[in-house]
Amino acid sequence: MFGANLLNWILWLPFVGVIAILCIPKGKENVIRWTALISTLVTMVFCAVLYCKFDRSLGGMQSQFEIIAPWIPSFNINYFLSVDGISALMIILTGMLFVICIGCSWKIEKMVKGYFALFLFLEFTVMGVFMSLDFFLFYVFWEVMLLPMFFLIGIWGGENREYAAVKFFLYTFFGSILMLVGIVGLYYMSAEVPSIGAHTFDILDLSGGKFSDMTVNLFGSEWNFSHVFFWAMFIGFAIKVPVFPFHTWLPHAHVQAPTAVSVILAGVLLKMGTYGFLRIAYPIFPQAANHFADWIAVLGLINVIYGALCAMAQTDLKRLVAYSSVSHMGFVMLGFAAMTTAGMNGAVLQMFNHGTSAAMMFLMVGVVYERSHHRWIVKPDGSLGFGGLYQQMPKYAIVFIISMFASLGLPGLSGFISEALIFIGIYKAYTTITVLALFGLLIGAAYLLWMFKRMFFGEVNEDCKSYSDMNTRELVYMAPLCILVILFGIWPAPLLDFMRASVGNLVTLLGNY
Amino acid sequence: MALNYLANIGRFIPELLACVTMLGLILIEATYGERDKDKKILSAASDLGLVMVLGSLIVQFNDTPTAIFSNAVVIDPFSTFMKIIMTLGTLGAVYLNGQSRDVHQGVKAEYNILALGVLVGAMLLASANNMLILYIGIEILSILSYVMASLNKIDDRSSEAGLKYVLYGGVSAGIMLFGISHIFGVLGTIQFTGMGALLQSLSDSQVAIIIPSFLLFFAGIGYKIACVPFHMWSPDVYEGSPLPVTTFFAIVPKLAGMALIVRISFVFFSHDGLLSQSWLGLLVIVSALTMTVGNVSALKQKSIKRMLAYSSISHAGFMLAGAVVVDSVGVRAIAFYGVTYLFMTLAAFYIVSFVQDKYGNDHFERFNGLMYRYPLMAVLMCLVMFSLAGVPPLAGFVAKFNILSALIGHGNYTLAIVAGLNSVVSLYYYLKIVRLMVFKDAESNEKIEGFGFVNQGIIAALSLPILVLGIFWNQIFQVVDKAVLFIQ
Repeated sequence: MFGANLLNWILWLPFVGVIAILCIPKGKENVIRWTALISTLVTMVFCAVLYCKFDRSLGGMQSQFEIIAPWIPSFNINYFLSVDGISALMIILTGMLFVICIGCSWKIEKMVKGYFALFLFLEFTVMGVFMSLDFFLFYVFWEVMLLPMFFLIGIWGGENREYAAVKFFLYTFFGSILMLVGIVGLYYMSAEVPSIGAHTFDILDLSGGKFSDMTVNLFGSEWNFSHVFFWAMFIGFAIKVPVFPFHTWLPHAHVQAPTAVSVILAGVLLKMGTYGFLRIAYPIFPQAANHFADWIAVLGLINVIYGALCAMAQTDLKRLVAYSSVSHMGFVMLGFAAMTTAGMNGAVLQMFNHGTSAAMMFLMVGVVYERSHHRWIVKPDGSLGFGGLYQQMPKYAIVFIISMFASLGLPGLSGFISEALIFIGIYKAYTTITVLALFGLLIGAAYLLWMFKRMFFGEVNEDCKSYSDMNTRELVYMAPLCILVILFGIWPAPLLDFMRASVGNLVTLLGNY
Repeated sequence: MALNYLANIGRFIPELLACVTMLGLILIEATYGERDKDKKILSAASDLGLVMVLGSLIVQFNDTPTAIFSNAVVIDPFSTFMKIIMTLGTLGAVYLNGQSRDVHQGVKAEYNILALGVLVGAMLLASANNMLILYIGIEILSILSYVMASLNKIDDRSSEAGLKYVLYGGVSAGIMLFGISHIFGVLGTIQFTGMGALLQSLSDSQVAIIIPSFLLFFAGIGYKIACVPFHMWSPDVYEGSPLPVTTFFAIVPKLAGMALIVRISFVFFSHDGLLSQSWLGLLVIVSALTMTVGNVSALKQKSIKRMLAYSSISHAGFMLAGAVVVDSVGVRAIAFYGVTYLFMTLAAFYIVSFVQDKYGNDHFERFNGLMYRYPLMAVLMCLVMFSLAGVPPLAGFVAKFNILSALIGHGNYTLAIVAGLNSVVSLYYYLKIVRLMVFKDAESNEKIEGFGFVNQGIIAALSLPILVLGIFWNQIFQVVDKAVLFIQ
């Protein structure tokens, strides 16, 4: 059932949801909420179908899901969707997180209609990014994604939301423009490659290191085409990841965004950046990826250490979690730099695991914020913002512990597996960097535990006495994530089997250069 | 000979229709008073005339290219295409004039008459096939524009705008004529046809004369499309003129100048050589400067009209970048850019105009919270702003994508990167309007009279192509590709 059109269903269902929500008259807020929930749930069901029907033995794109139709013939642009192990994993993650986010946005009261319409639209674009194999189509989804994000942060965000929204938009737009120049450059270059022979935006045709020997005339001198264009793509994606020094938009966006948007931002959008590396920058320019592996490893290390140190210095809970995201995405970059089977598998697994654990952390922040309306671990006047939450909110504390330990990589929880794989993968090639990055883990443990101590132990703060414990709705949307981090911490095989063949393909390709 | 001319007139019907409408309006105006009803009749008459012009142009679009009037004027799909865009622009501006209260109330049909006159000049310019027609076109265009700029004769700023325009326009026309006379002196002809070949056979000393003369010649066109460094007049004139006039200026003269530049680049400089390289080099520099200066100046503006004026300067820079590539891809990019620019500019100016009519000024704060008062208008304005900045999947993005791909297809990465970075800069100030409309609370809940049912519908109709052309641009491309057919 739905075999050939499965991806279409997953992609367009949220969009249908947008239309449906726009048609619901004002004042029927609950109808809107339920419509959004149902539309994401049905999408999630289709994602589950994708999970079941996926052929784990295939490394390449799965032709059973492939959809291709001409869009702009004069530029040879196609509506081309398909998935492999990596993108299917991201699609499933996206489908799941959006359901949870609708759950956690239930209490939004301001412009409900606009909020849920934009939220579903966001899901539509994110799904599009993960499915499209036409570079132009990919770019369109990649860019359109900015619009709902901009409004979601700017309208429903915190006090400084305008600044955060604009900074987010401008930063990402800047990266995308570099990418666009790269895309068009590739398009024209592709005709000069004998094995392609025609202008094309087809990512699969472009992939495979076909541009290794080309040169390009830039600013009056000859450059190695793949090196220059690798960096154009790299910066476009690095801003999204975010890789130091392009990360400065992230703390603002995270802090100002409403909880659900933070969850999506950390859980899915950051993965778009790393997905871009896996789908585009690495396969198209494997030679450049090898050539610049040292750089990527160093940037990854900076992310790990610098993000962790920044997180340690934060007094705002959400800012702390935001910087911990920077740190954890650094591990993904380290895994990329390794280019070994273990490292790559670890990196992709880390993308998924960070998607769940960071989502949990942000949801936890959101839960307490709904009660306290502030997020100070330490208030500006030096007093503790929270205290004794363990006594006051025991259920909350338990869920928080699971999220926190998943995030810091405690053995038995999901984060550990992926980080261990990354370290195994990278140790041989970059021993020093591995050792230094391990200190990043240590700092990670330090800031999380310190934060936990200050928030949960000790006497119950006066302000905290009125806080109620987590309610059923909150427990319901946290439960699947808790189960997943524990399950994948003990038994990661379902995920690893899912992506092994695809990651193996990529590693083989990279190994040839 | 006489018969020949009569046969030629058949190809000249659109221009003649515009002239007839203009003259007719003068006659009708004399017999009507100043009541609202009379004004309506006058604007209905001009709308009717313009629609007829439009119809005749569309009929003409598929004809084979021919040169008429002893080779002085060419009618080819490209010129017809540009004329269609310009006529649509005029139609839009004339309708806005009927709705807006920005033009002095004592003025009856002057605006429509002058706009039609400018349109005739612009059409001549798009079709010019010799230097004299070109000059006549520019002068018709300019002289009538001066009057239009100062249409609000009791408003100091409008008069100032007119005067500035005259001074700047007069000087640059003089410089241009000086350049043309040198070109004639060297080549011995004013006909475009064959001039490209003549330019190739020049001796070194002749080239030494002809390069500066083309530079002078360029000054005249550069001033019409307001490219840097000939743009100084434009923000003041745009700001001082009544809004319907500004709308008109942002579209018709600019596109006419662009059509001219494309033709000149094609006819004169499609061969490789020192001359072509200098001309194209000049275009590259001017285009990069125009984009950058326009955008950077727009960042700090307090009046939306002035901001849009600067932004239109930067869009001219983008279109110029398409002319740098002298081939069909470049022309296609410019033609497509022209279409999207027309709709974006009209929709933006319509909305600004109605807001300004309400409050008497167009400061940014007037847009605060528009989303919560007129959601449809605010959403459309957001669309227009994102499209102007070049965010997909809107038409403005496709237009910029085409320019970029024309540039990169020719290996001109430097200009492509400059253009790309300029999009990022421009996004900042376009976002400013979006922010005000959506993130701020409304200051008051007063009704804006301009946003009646019909006007909202018209603005929606103007914005629709922005969305449609951004997604289904293959269809329009088939039309645009026809427009690229040229007389060489």
